[in-house]
Amino acid sequence: MNHTTEYIAERLWIGQLGNGFVILSLVAALLSAVGYYFYSKETLTSEWKKFASTAFTIHSISIIGIAATLFFMLFNHFYEYSYVYQHSNNEMPMQYIMSCFWEGQEGSFLLWAFWNVVLGNILRKTIDAKWEAPTMAIFALVQVFIASMLLGVYFGDYKLGSNPFILLRENPQYANLPFLQIENYLAKIDGRGLNPLLMNYWMTIHPPTLFLGFSSTLVPFVFAVAGLWKRDFTTWQKPALTWTFFSIMILGTGILMGGAWAYEALSFGGFWAWDPVENSSLVPWLVMVGAGHVMIINKNKGGSLFMTHLMAIASFLLVLYSTFLTRSGILGKSSVHAFTDLGMQAQLVVYVLTFVLICVVLLIHDKLIRVSYLMVSFLMLFAGITFGHKVALLLTWIVISFLMTIYSYIKFFPKEEEEESLYSREFWMFVGSLVFLLSSLIITYFTSIPVMNKLFQGWLYENEKAPIKIADYNLWMVPFTIIALLLVAVTQYFKYKKTNPKQFLKHIALSGVLAVVFGMSAVIPLYFLKEYSSASPIDKWNLVSYALLFISALFAVFCNLDYWMRILKGKTRHAGSSIAHIGFALILLGALISTSKKQTISQNTSQKNVASLGENFDAKKSLVLTKGDTLPIGNYLVTYTGKERRGIDVFFNMDYFTKDENGKLVKAFDLSPMIQDNPRMGTASHPDTKHFLSNDIYTHVTYGVLSDDKTIKKDAYKEPTNFVGHMNDTIFSDNAIIRIDSITTNLTEEQYSKNDSLLIVTAVLKATDINGNIYRATPRYILKHNMVMPDEFELKELGLKFIFWKIYPNEGSVEIQMSEKVSNVKDFVVLEAYMFPFINVLWLGCLVMIIGTVVAIIERRRINKLKSTS
Amino acid sequence: MKKIHILGIVVIAVAIGVIFTSLQSSATYSDFTEAAGNPDTEYHVVGKLDKSIPVQYDPKINADECSFMMVDNKGVEKKVVLHKSVPQDIQKSEQIVLIGKMQGEEFHANEILMKCPSKYNDGKPQV
Repeated sequence: MNHTTEYIAERLWIGQLGNGFVILSLVAALLSAVGYYFYSKETLTSEWKKFASTAFTIHSISIIGIAATLFFMLFNHFYEYSYVYQHSNNEMPMQYIMSCFWEGQEGSFLLWAFWNVVLGNILRKTIDAKWEAPTMAIFALVQVFIASMLLGVYFGDYKLGSNPFILLRENPQYANLPFLQIENYLAKIDGRGLNPLLMNYWMTIHPPTLFLGFSSTLVPFVFAVAGLWKRDFTTWQKPALTWTFFSIMILGTGILMGGAWAYEALSFGGFWAWDPVENSSLVPWLVMVGAGHVMIINKNKGGSLFMTHLMAIASFLLVLYSTFLTRSGILGKSSVHAFTDLGMQAQLVVYVLTFVLICVVLLIHDKLIRVSYLMVSFLMLFAGITFGHKVALLLTWIVISFLMTIYSYIKFFPKEEEEESLYSREFWMFVGSLVFLLSSLIITYFTSIPVMNKLFQGWLYENEKAPIKIADYNLWMVPFTIIALLLVAVTQYFKYKKTNPKQFLKHIALSGVLAVVFGMSAVIPLYFLKEYSSASPIDKWNLVSYALLFISALFAVFCNLDYWMRILKGKTRHAGSSIAHIGFALILLGALISTSKKQTISQNTSQKNVASLGENFDAKKSLVLTKGDTLPIGNYLVTYTGKERRGIDVFFNMDYFTKDENGKLVKAFDLSPMIQDNPRMGTASHPDTKHFLSNDIYTHVTYGVLSDDKTIKKDAYKEPTNFVGHMNDTIFSDNAIIRIDSITTNLTEEQYSKNDSLLIVTAVLKATDINGNIYRATPRYILKHNMVMPDEFELKELGLKFIFWKIYPNEGSVEIQMSEKVSNVKDFVVLEAYMFPFINVLWLGCLVMIIGTVVAIIERRRINKLKSTS
Repeated sequence: MKKIHILGIVVIAVAIGVIFTSLQSSATYSDFTEAAGNPDTEYHVVGKLDKSIPVQYDPKINADECSFMMVDNKGVEKKVVLHKSVPQDIQKSEQIVLIGKMQGEEFHANEILMKCPSKYNDGKPQV
């Protein structure tokens, strides 16, 4: 049906232009990789260089062309294109056009490719001639793979990549929309817009920073692979070191921005939740930190060659693996913000495995074994495609590759004869890097539970495994963190090769004593005085480990401060690493205190609370706050003053009061936590936080009525409810307490039995409102000729209606029906409030760590320049 | 033996230890019937909200408790007591994962994860 319709005003040329760039970028990257490959063969001359670098330039221009085209389309609202329709709309403000750009998968791949191009061009302009060809060959090969993710071409049923320039009417998801059958549909449609949850400034700064971080891991990777390829294991490390620390800084900043976003704008109730998407950026960073440190060992003392290659390579491979985890839809129900499946699962697996294959092949330095390994790999791939048994084959291949790696390490890799001294800096730096590598492997393993299920469920175990809980992540990671902090503290005091143990102990003694004294005086009241005796065994272990972590973090801060002041004599220029280490320790200290001493300050203190919770469950954390009521939250008194709707955002305004010396309430601040009534994905709670120097007061609304007060008919009465009671019993309404005061009748029992004409029984009710005013209500039970006459008593002052419904003479009780005016029911919210103590230590640590890394990079560049000029 | 080899062995031992302990202790996805068989074990039960029966939540009585009926993946329906305030979007949920234990005929959950219609594939037209 589509092909018979002639569509009006579609701008097909721009999609064709974009697709032209996509194909050109792919072809140019491929040619560039081939060109650099031949250029790297030393016998060949500079023609290949010209060819390869021209191809890379064309590739770069094409990637920028794709980005510019997509941006132009978004900016001009070309809704005939699926990507524009899905991510933008007519009202989109300028600052969010960029956010629309990277909201979708295709756009974020494009962002990644763009940063790669930027870094690739800097790399090839600044690198030594010797390393240009091999590094750029691998760089261009990676770009081939990334560019292919934008292709969106079908091979039979199999789709390669996902194209940002697909037309709306060609997208199977939308093709059947009725309006697409109209010729001039473009005149009528508006886009679906950016997810309102993402319309905040974090969305404009976090993705570009994080993707620059992901891109930056590529540079150490290409250096290390080039080193394996050319069997020169050392000379690449010096130029790669600056790139490695650049990567540590940018990726670290990106991760921290993610944490800050989660804390400020999303209602996780914290800054880190061990979500797979968070882990997938943390793991490459941990490995990159390890890589940076073994590279420093290598620079100063030589050795640790295998580890430098392993870690520099692993960081990028883990970025690829994370891309697979978060983009393939495999995480499904285990992550709140994983992308859905775009049909790229197989493709992403193939990419990860291809790069592993390349690295193993390059590692094997024996032609026969290398060829056999390749043959076996291809045979297994072929067998998997034709005969199935993919999982078994994949696992076998992984085992073979792992064994080949170990074999090559033993057989072909240069090793040192001399053993490191226990009193040497290189030994402990190496141990530290191992700790980082090991912890990142464990986090990766934990995050990969859904992958394990896919591979092993029904074979090694029956039931599908659930994701690892936050508490378990913490339990496992705390010991690693303690070891890392102790190493961060003492390692600088070791000299390379050999240190005098007595000298070493003398140096660290001061910091050690200070850490223990300050630490103990802090951790005893924090963790041991109240909680410890009543804690379960696992919680006792947790408390002890928190205490150790606290002391180690203090020790690390003192040691590095001392090193900076006494050994480096306060010279900032040389102290980059000390400063960064102080930052690292402060981050962990802040994270520890604010998380372990996070206090729920919203406890349900309202009078109306009757039921109690089961013993196994958390203490109460929600507070019901009725409009106008004032309840205590922590050291404050809080009033809910009302709600306010702005667009789809409903703000709940709270005033916080403190008491002054005279006991009078003084307003301290106000907070407006918000619930977004998001048409795209349901409601989203957005916390509001008051920041103080020593703590944060964090609130978010877990339940609130979103409809406006105005939409409710105030004069209407609610459904009535019946009460059976005796004299002096009480009935509660929303605004008063009602007591059955007396019951009178116009006739005695004797009279009634004689004269059946009319019986009137009057219930006298006394209603006491919140202010203590007493009102009288007298509903009547009227019986005339054995018929009950309807009679209603309205107490206008309180908006209550009563009907005297029944008399139970045997029980001596009466039944009264009461209905309340709708407007009596006051608006309320259910909220959770936390106090995060000393969370500013964490943010300060972030800043200090970034500054330290920048100082180290500047110093490294200065030294490199000095060396090259002298 | 070199120190580096000892380190290597320690690393491998720790890695294997973590893998095995976590494999044994980690919770599994399951259904009400299995959870009823082991009332002391925590389970992740996957299912759908029964939308024909209203969700009970009265914050004035207990703001930290709500209850509803859920049908698990095997088709068994049980009453669920969730020890939290009611998730604002529960009526829109397509799938629910509950974390908790069976107590008699009720499933007591202290955590809930919901899958709501995704922003990527709801496919609603806007004209």
